[in-house]
Amino acid sequence: MTSVQQGVQRLVTTTNGAAKQITQHTLDNGLRLVIAPAATGQVAAVNLWYGVGSRHEVPGRTGFAHLFEHLMFQGSGNVPKGDHFDAIERLGGDINASTSSDRTNYYETVPEHALDLALWLEADRLATLREGMGQEVLDNQRDVVKNERRQRYDNIPYGTAFERILSHAYPPGHPYHHPTIGSMADLDAADLEYVLSFHKAHYGPDNLVLTVVSALDPDDVHERVKHYFGGIPARDVIAEAPDATLEGPIGGPKSEVVTENVPAPAVFLIYRVPAYGTREFDIMQLASAVLGQGQGSRLYRRLVVERGLANDDGGSAADLVNFRYTPGLFFVSMIARDGVTGDQLEEAMLDEISTLADGISEEEMERARAVLERDHLQSISTPGGLADSLGSCTQLFDDPTLVYTWPQRWAAISTDEVVEYAKRLLTPENRLSVRFEDEEAPDADA
Amino acid sequence: MSNLQTRPVLGEPTRYTFPKPQRLQVGGGTVVAIDIPGQPYAAIRLVQPAGGISEPADLMGVAALTNEALEDGIHGNSSLAPSLERHGAEWVSRIGWDSFITGVDAPANRIADAVGLFAEALRTPALRDEDIVRRRDQLIESFWLEASVASTLAARSIGGQLFTGRYATPLSGGPAGLHELTPENVRRFHADSVASVAGTLVVVGDLSGVDLEALGRTVFGDALATPARHTVAPDPAPGDLPRILLLDRPGSVQSALILAHRAPARSQVDLPKVEGMSDVLGGMFTSRLNMELRERLGYTYGVGCRFDLRRDSGVFVISTQVEAPTTAHSITATLEQIAKLKDEGATEGELAAVRESNTVGLPVSYSTAGRLAGALVESVVHDLPEDHVDRLRAGFERLTADDLQQAARDYLHPQESVVIVAGDAETLREPLAETGFGPVEVRDPETLWAVPGSTTP
Repeated sequence: MTSVQQGVQRLVTTTNGAAKQITQHTLDNGLRLVIAPAATGQVAAVNLWYGVGSRHEVPGRTGFAHLFEHLMFQGSGNVPKGDHFDAIERLGGDINASTSSDRTNYYETVPEHALDLALWLEADRLATLREGMGQEVLDNQRDVVKNERRQRYDNIPYGTAFERILSHAYPPGHPYHHPTIGSMADLDAADLEYVLSFHKAHYGPDNLVLTVVSALDPDDVHERVKHYFGGIPARDVIAEAPDATLEGPIGGPKSEVVTENVPAPAVFLIYRVPAYGTREFDIMQLASAVLGQGQGSRLYRRLVVERGLANDDGGSAADLVNFRYTPGLFFVSMIARDGVTGDQLEEAMLDEISTLADGISEEEMERARAVLERDHLQSISTPGGLADSLGSCTQLFDDPTLVYTWPQRWAAISTDEVVEYAKRLLTPENRLSVRFEDEEAPDADA
Repeated sequence: MSNLQTRPVLGEPTRYTFPKPQRLQVGGGTVVAIDIPGQPYAAIRLVQPAGGISEPADLMGVAALTNEALEDGIHGNSSLAPSLERHGAEWVSRIGWDSFITGVDAPANRIADAVGLFAEALRTPALRDEDIVRRRDQLIESFWLEASVASTLAARSIGGQLFTGRYATPLSGGPAGLHELTPENVRRFHADSVASVAGTLVVVGDLSGVDLEALGRTVFGDALATPARHTVAPDPAPGDLPRILLLDRPGSVQSALILAHRAPARSQVDLPKVEGMSDVLGGMFTSRLNMELRERLGYTYGVGCRFDLRRDSGVFVISTQVEAPTTAHSITATLEQIAKLKDEGATEGELAAVRESNTVGLPVSYSTAGRLAGALVESVVHDLPEDHVDRLRAGFERLTADDLQQAARDYLHPQESVVIVAGDAETLREPLAETGFGPVEVRDPETLWAVPGSTTP
């Protein structure tokens, strides 16, 4: 056994002990509650994963799940506009929310004595948001979200890359064809009536995983959650997500070349892979780590250090997009050095990707497992991060203990399996290329 | 029908006391450590004084380049990170104006292995010519890649508008100056300011089974005690204030907007008063600027402000990105909020929010190894007592509304400010001039850092 394997086992043994300290409950209204201990005292991390995301949006209503997340901070039946943020901020709490294709997440980490307040605020907007909602706040938050879109997509180089990739990787009408931020036209079209119906359709305790990480007694936490959430009825009708099934390869080789004002050519290479949660996803995650995660990865060593073709990204050239309910994406991206064309960079990236099928050394696999395990352990080393991961594993897989045992999944995958799946999935017919070229470069459309 | 509870009344918070660190003198250095039982990840940081302000005038950027080059390790060729990766550890490094920080984040049961690799990379790196040249050229290209983002472009040009000397050039150096740096410059800087200086080692995590003295010996070796530092206040940039610098970014649908002016050194201010006032204006989501520009006007995704306080001086910065046609009004609306805070002071509600968030909220602020390590690093960089977090808490507890208004009057100076806008000059020049804030100068961003150290008109 190598030292790395020993390390993996030691860490996993430690964390298995922690897995036994998780408690789970399902309230009568369907709310799933997860309780776990925090490593530091005096804080309570509260995290809510609602099973609604942009995959529930229909054409003409893109961006709605995310716009709605903003509206959840704009007041509810017993909480005036701005008061939720204010109440948590004045306690020094960390508070925010995020929306993805698969889910919407709200969280606050507060001093322990304020746990009840955080629970009450969350319960109030779950039960009574519709009473606090009006046209004025909708108009204001629509403007805010449009500025978020400008800031993250429209006013930065390569900002539209992910939007373009989704539009090619998933067919029109598919629930993952569009990004969570949505289009400006659909945001403009959002109306109050639809806001109210969206809350009714998706925001019920039966669609919620609530996680509390603190040093408090788990029975005490359970009682408090029952006190604040127990009286909220489940939804009358369970909303159905649009069908996201997708079979086979991406239909490649496909490519788009975008010529605009960018500081250097950039290449994005995308392959369709099985959904998050499958063993095949884990296998391809190891492949992505061998290829492009960390400065020991192939892309970094070959294209950044040895050949000087790509800009130094610190070793984050490859990763997976972890969609749970539809095939995910194997994602490789790099920016060209001065004097290197997009063509040259793309060819070099393809060469490196193809070497995975030729074989992977045990040493590379050990490094890849260690990098993935490190990132995983770091993500659960804070109360808020642990609560988020527990909520994720419960909402997506109905098993919070996966948080502690996930590294074992990587440990159980062999080098041969990674090579085999690289051969099977990293193929031209499963490939999409999106490339950005500088409009001012003399050979921009070469 | 929902059966809802009434809003809970909060009980008394548990009083927070910052953990008392262990302190150990080992050879020429000091180890400062906090034990957090059960914390699986440890944060280890070495603090040395070789920050940007310590660089020789003709070698701006050498601290940043040296910091980067350490990642090539003792064998060169970017060999450090892969060694650490096999231990599940990660190299952490950055430079500040007053500090040169290196270290690792590592699983608690791998601290000794990770620190061993870290120490040899820090004290005896290969620093080969080819590695340094590669890092240097990448640093220059990255400079322009990053500056293609409007907010980064605007932020990087603050120093040249407010100062002469070292602060006029960005912390990591300007492209022209970096281009002149040689491998020998880096090796000399490393030998004089990094390899031979012991520094202070900060260790935070589950320390059961960790031999702190051995860690200290590994990291310090026979390096000498950290020399005393001398600070000299920097001179201002030439030119009349207030003024507007418009960095042309044709076709921008949004403008990156900054208002900045000089501020005193950290040691010269009463921090709770200054930071409390800054929180009221723009340091929180519920601050006045965010409530006005985002939540009422809908011009932005967010706006914030802060004091960047260094050992010899400081800077006050408000920054945001606004929809392009609202740029001029965003400036006047910001100035109105500053004037209102100076004239009318803070409300009792705002005072309570600032006071509580900085006292009751401390367990949240220090709920991770990284944040605790950050507080220790800060105390080393600014020569603060080890109970400085508790002293700050006491300062916030004493804070009054009068203090906040007085701080606004003493430390907010819009008439001595420069407003920097990275946006479409053709459409913005006229509306910006019409604000009456000050003369508008339009610059092509590519001319800003063309000559080493020259960033002013």
